[in-house]
Amino acid sequence: MRGLIELWGVFVSTIAGMIRGGRPKGEIVRQMHAIGNKSMLFIAVTLGFIGMVMIYQACMQFNRVTGDLSQVGVQFIRLVTSDFAPTLTGMMLATRVGAGIAAEIGSMKVTEQVDALRMSGVLPVDYLIVPRFIASVVMTVVLTTLGGAIMYVAGGLTAHYQFGVNLKIFFDLSLLNPAHLSLGLVKAVTYGAAIPVVSGFCGLRAKGSSEGVGWATTAAVIGSSLAVLLLDFILSVAGFFVLGEALR
Amino acid sequence: MSDAPPPAARPVIEFRGVAKAFGDKQVLRDLSLDVRKGEVLFIIGTSGVGKSVTIKHLIGLLGVDAGEIWFDGKRVDTLREPELAPIRKRIGMVFQNSTLFDSMTLAENVALPLRKHQGMRQKKALVEARRRLDQVYMSEFADRYPAELSDGMRKRAAIARTLTLQPEVVLFDEPTTGLDPVNARRIDRLIRELSGGQGVTSVVVSHDLTSIFSIADRIAFIYQGAVRALGSRDEIRASDDPVVQQFIQGQSSGPMETPGF
Amino acid sequence: MFGFVERAITQVGTTTVRIAREVGGIVVLAFDVLRALFPPTLDGRELVKNLYKMGNQSVPIVALTAFFAGGLMLVQSAPFVEKLQAHALAGWAAGYAVLREIGPILIALMFSGRVGANNTAELGTMTVTEQLDGLRALAIDPIRYLIVPRVVAMVVMLLALTVIGDLVALVGAAITAKAVVGIEFSTFIHSVVDNLKPYDFLHGIYKSMVFGASIALTSCYFGVTVRGGAVGVGRAVNAAVVAAAVSVMLLDFFMTYWLG
Repeated sequence: MRGLIELWGVFVSTIAGMIRGGRPKGEIVRQMHAIGNKSMLFIAVTLGFIGMVMIYQACMQFNRVTGDLSQVGVQFIRLVTSDFAPTLTGMMLATRVGAGIAAEIGSMKVTEQVDALRMSGVLPVDYLIVPRFIASVVMTVVLTTLGGAIMYVAGGLTAHYQFGVNLKIFFDLSLLNPAHLSLGLVKAVTYGAAIPVVSGFCGLRAKGSSEGVGWATTAAVIGSSLAVLLLDFILSVAGFFVLGEALR
Repeated sequence: MSDAPPPAARPVIEFRGVAKAFGDKQVLRDLSLDVRKGEVLFIIGTSGVGKSVTIKHLIGLLGVDAGEIWFDGKRVDTLREPELAPIRKRIGMVFQNSTLFDSMTLAENVALPLRKHQGMRQKKALVEARRRLDQVYMSEFADRYPAELSDGMRKRAAIARTLTLQPEVVLFDEPTTGLDPVNARRIDRLIRELSGGQGVTSVVVSHDLTSIFSIADRIAFIYQGAVRALGSRDEIRASDDPVVQQFIQGQSSGPMETPGF
Repeated sequence: MFGFVERAITQVGTTTVRIAREVGGIVVLAFDVLRALFPPTLDGRELVKNLYKMGNQSVPIVALTAFFAGGLMLVQSAPFVEKLQAHALAGWAAGYAVLREIGPILIALMFSGRVGANNTAELGTMTVTEQLDGLRALAIDPIRYLIVPRVVAMVVMLLALTVIGDLVALVGAAITAKAVVGIEFSTFIHSVVDNLKPYDFLHGIYKSMVFGASIALTSCYFGVTVRGGAVGVGRAVNAAVVAAAVSVMLLDFFMTYWLG
């Protein structure tokens, strides 16, 4: 519980630091590269394969029940935009980016570089977390778009070549509406914000030497993955009630 | 330099022209050295000269680039990992940083080889481990974890662990480095007792001049990847080689070329 | 322009070589582990110790994950179910997705993040402090003594966790169904029991065994190949969880085709 309050504190001071400004120049671009560009292949491969698997499973199931596969594509794109793309991208980034941020900040903490920052009058949150926060929010949205597109295309090709679904029928976007897109966007932004805050928090709490950094890294992976899942649950339930009709 | 050994002191270990490089750094160039049965042989030299590398070859932790290594009439540098096990039971090694397993207490550390190689059950092995620890005056710390103890204590426990297999040869990698003088002399005494009482051959890597000149039977001075001087304490002390003299007198300037300076 | 192309090609080349080397290393380790298992000379004490520790680390997290995973799948299918007014389909849709895909994958990812990462850090610390060489010097084979019990423990543990997790996920889905859509428990249970086959459950269980083996091997591989002190350990943990995530996704793909 104490931890949750402190975590909230990190989040609030991150927002405050963002408004205050005055962060090191070029740091955001560097972080965007580290978080975004370097995760591209990872996101593309994982989401591409899971897209194929999901369509495979769905088609198998529809075959078992109705044999009508014309609905698979339109339902799939709705699920991809409103949930699969942001959430799976979020889970993957929680692993890759979360561990990276915690290892980096944790190493600085145990080698007393964080204290050195504080001594020179710089707030560690401003210097270390704010640039990662901004970069992560932007890049999560970008990677979600990329991952979703790859998932959709990989799924469509699977449906076509494995189950003979007409590509035109599969890639039918008529049932996709702003509600799905906005729900997906809100999720992506939320995860993008949660991952650097949770893992930065874990990094700043690292104590001791190499074991401390190891602990922080593990905690960051688990913490940010769980955060993504919990936020997904909350946002999905909220979306169901708020957007209700529009999602159907 | 190599006076013919008397028949009783037939070499138990022979290095013949061993060479080893790490990347483009040639550590050993042409190292030849005999170790006689029952002696305490010191391998000395400056840091990074390849002393530890030399003894790690003997139990196959490193492979040679060229040359041969013989142990008790058998060639060991060509053995594969599974074939090394019997050699490693006969040649024990005490590492510089002890390498006690930090998830186990001292007693459990010492019990592990007993359990693995002498087929003891855990309970019996632990009892035996306590007895072994007592021999190095460590029995009162048997239930502590390595991280809770000082370097000297860890080193003594590591020696006890290595001795459980009753090796014929024990390799010590810088046994006294980083220890206070009192603890260092205790380790020296332990090494000396091993050779005297139990006829164990010891190969000690060190640059601790006090140990070198108090317990060594013979000393091999390694310089630029080969043995530069070999002899008894008195012979080394009286050496007219300026490089050897610079080392044993601990002078900062002289003819010696040290990498990195 | 040319410089950029050249850089890109070099980048692709070095990445390919690195990945090939890592995959090769993991495959070699897999063979070593298999060889050490026949005949089985498993160190019982290490196995029990690891099972206990890994179970302790992961059960609460996996239960929490599974609960929400079940709930999530229900919420995802809810608009569809509402639209068709087909409450009888909810349990089937959520259960099918959970048992075959979402359950095994999410549990495996969480397991990798908790147990796999921890295992890499532990083995990595042992490697940089020469404890593995210490074992070798005592004529104890690190693969037989350290790696094999960990691999076996991780496979067994992930299997058990997936069985428990599937159950918890169905409970999570049922509770969400009642709370969010207003579907009665009995309707939900009927929907699950009538429509899902035992094979849907086994499909996920078979996958979890393969996931367990791949997570175990990757995490051990990155642990024993650590270079460069404490920083190296952090980097290895990072690399291990990423590699495990990719391998879980790839294996899921092949297993799905193979198992049907």
